[in-house]
Amino acid sequence: MNGTAVAIRDLTVRFHGRAVLEGVSASLPEGGCTVFVGPNGAGKTTLLLCLLGEVPYAGSIRLSARCAGRIGYVPQNLNFDVQTPVTVEEFLSLGVSRRPLWFGFGKKALALTREALEQVGLPDCAKLRLGDLSGGQMRRVLLASALLRKPSLIVLDEPAAGVDLKGERLFWETLDNARRRYGLTIAMVSHNLPLAAHYATHVICVHEGSVVEGSPRAVLTARNLIKVFGIPIHLYPDQCSEPQLQCPKCGAFGVEDEGQDQPGSACACPMGHEGILPAGPACLLPLAGVPAPDQGVEAAPDQGGAAAAGQACACRHGGGHA
Amino acid sequence: MLDFLLSLIGCIPLDCLELRFMQRAMLGLLLLAPMTAMLGVQIVHFRMAFYSDAIGHSAFAGAGIGMLLAVDPHLAMPVFGILVGLAIIALKRHTAISSDVAIGVVFSAVVAFGLAVVSRSPAVARDMQQFLFGDILTISDQEICFLMALFPAMLAFQAAGANQLFLIALNPVMARAHGIHTGLWQYLFAAMLALVVIFSVWAVGVLLVTALLIVPAAAARNIARSSRGMFWWAIALSVLSACLGLVLSLEDWLGTASGATIVLVATCFFALSTLPGIVRRERRG
Repeated sequence: MNGTAVAIRDLTVRFHGRAVLEGVSASLPEGGCTVFVGPNGAGKTTLLLCLLGEVPYAGSIRLSARCAGRIGYVPQNLNFDVQTPVTVEEFLSLGVSRRPLWFGFGKKALALTREALEQVGLPDCAKLRLGDLSGGQMRRVLLASALLRKPSLIVLDEPAAGVDLKGERLFWETLDNARRRYGLTIAMVSHNLPLAAHYATHVICVHEGSVVEGSPRAVLTARNLIKVFGIPIHLYPDQCSEPQLQCPKCGAFGVEDEGQDQPGSACACPMGHEGILPAGPACLLPLAGVPAPDQGVEAAPDQGGAAAAGQACACRHGGGHA
Repeated sequence: MLDFLLSLIGCIPLDCLELRFMQRAMLGLLLLAPMTAMLGVQIVHFRMAFYSDAIGHSAFAGAGIGMLLAVDPHLAMPVFGILVGLAIIALKRHTAISSDVAIGVVFSAVVAFGLAVVSRSPAVARDMQQFLFGDILTISDQEICFLMALFPAMLAFQAAGANQLFLIALNPVMARAHGIHTGLWQYLFAAMLALVVIFSVWAVGVLLVTALLIVPAAAARNIARSSRGMFWWAIALSVLSACLGLVLSLEDWLGTASGATIVLVATCFFALSTLPGIVRRERRG
């Protein structure tokens, strides 16, 4: 990562006189995955829409020379009737073909759409109708559409909302691979804290109109999260200094005498994990069917040892320990 | 040019097409049907049936204004229709009013205005019947010339804007991120739609104008496996419905209004188009 892709300074957004964001300053590192977290109504999506120029604001948002004018956007969903016979290939070609859809696509547009589908792990979906795709497939098609524009910055608004756990995990993995392969800067809103802790390189926590930013490990602490969400969420067991008996993870952590559920010890949490508990945020094993990033690209950011060799947790849930 | 086209239509071996007014009606429909089909596909995609209905009903008020101000209704109707179309888009874009409410308010206003005009003058009320039910058989050479000018403009608009309009319909924010000027294309679409809808009012009347736009596109959606297929199927079904409806309406055993017959034929095609889906569902059990 080199420098700052997006610099936000003193950003204020008001809707009908009410301040949604007040004097917000934050930076998105270039080539990193920045995740906006926070409760509903905190202003995450508003902040994202400011990046896209969709919402009027006071203050400044400066994009690096590499990102200016090269923004891809992945919406939560498309507004279409599931009976509409638009194929994946047609949808993707809309963004790359100058020829009207009615006259078919050129060879170049076809090759580009096929390549984009392969990048997101959907090489056989070109002829499928959009309405026939699962939620997870649809999100990856939307990602392919954004990638087709060869962006430097991709903005995603809860791209995996409503997708099952496996589909969401697959989406994040695909997105992370694309980031590493093309050096993309990613700005996304997400409510999935364990996956954010695992994949994000930078987190911006939006709460009551202001933000806290930093590395996932520095921002997604139990102390911050209980302030923001009002419930105990412990993504990093080794940071649990104050046991919360309501939380299954913390409750187990509190039983120190039994020597269970400490990082590196046998996992005996009530969720049925087996194996060794990693010290990091989530025991995420590599997924089959996701194209791996090219060799020799940027190393994965340190996620506190999650999914590191020798620490594989055969977690049946495939998620975090939150 | 017009005479050449009319004489070409006269070569079709059908007795009814030997008459000049029938040749004009057929040519008018051959120009109008593909345009309504193209826009119909987009209306179905954009879920704008109510919008086209509002513009159709604005023809009623436009004609009323024309009659009151002694302006040719053929000029007053398209101008008023375009203004109504643009006003709805402006309301949607610049206020927090939802799309349905914006259309509903404008729709009610133009219908009420049309009725108010009609209620003031019985003579105007008689003329208004033409706009309610339409009559393609009375289309003039001047109107056909206007359609001939509108047709290439529509093709150019579709060639330049079909992909952009589709992306805007799917997600306006995504379209803007793709560098598409959504406002420009929405206003242009509204203007083109208003023009075609007003001409369709002359053919089938205010009451059936939405059917002429929607039914062929809806039938095409049932048959087609891709968007491209839907576009061409819609044009084929629209032209076929128009030609068959016109010819059938003049048969002695039927003798119905041409506009209504055209829409009925299109509706039959729609009913047929649902059969493959029903069979597929039956097979699946």
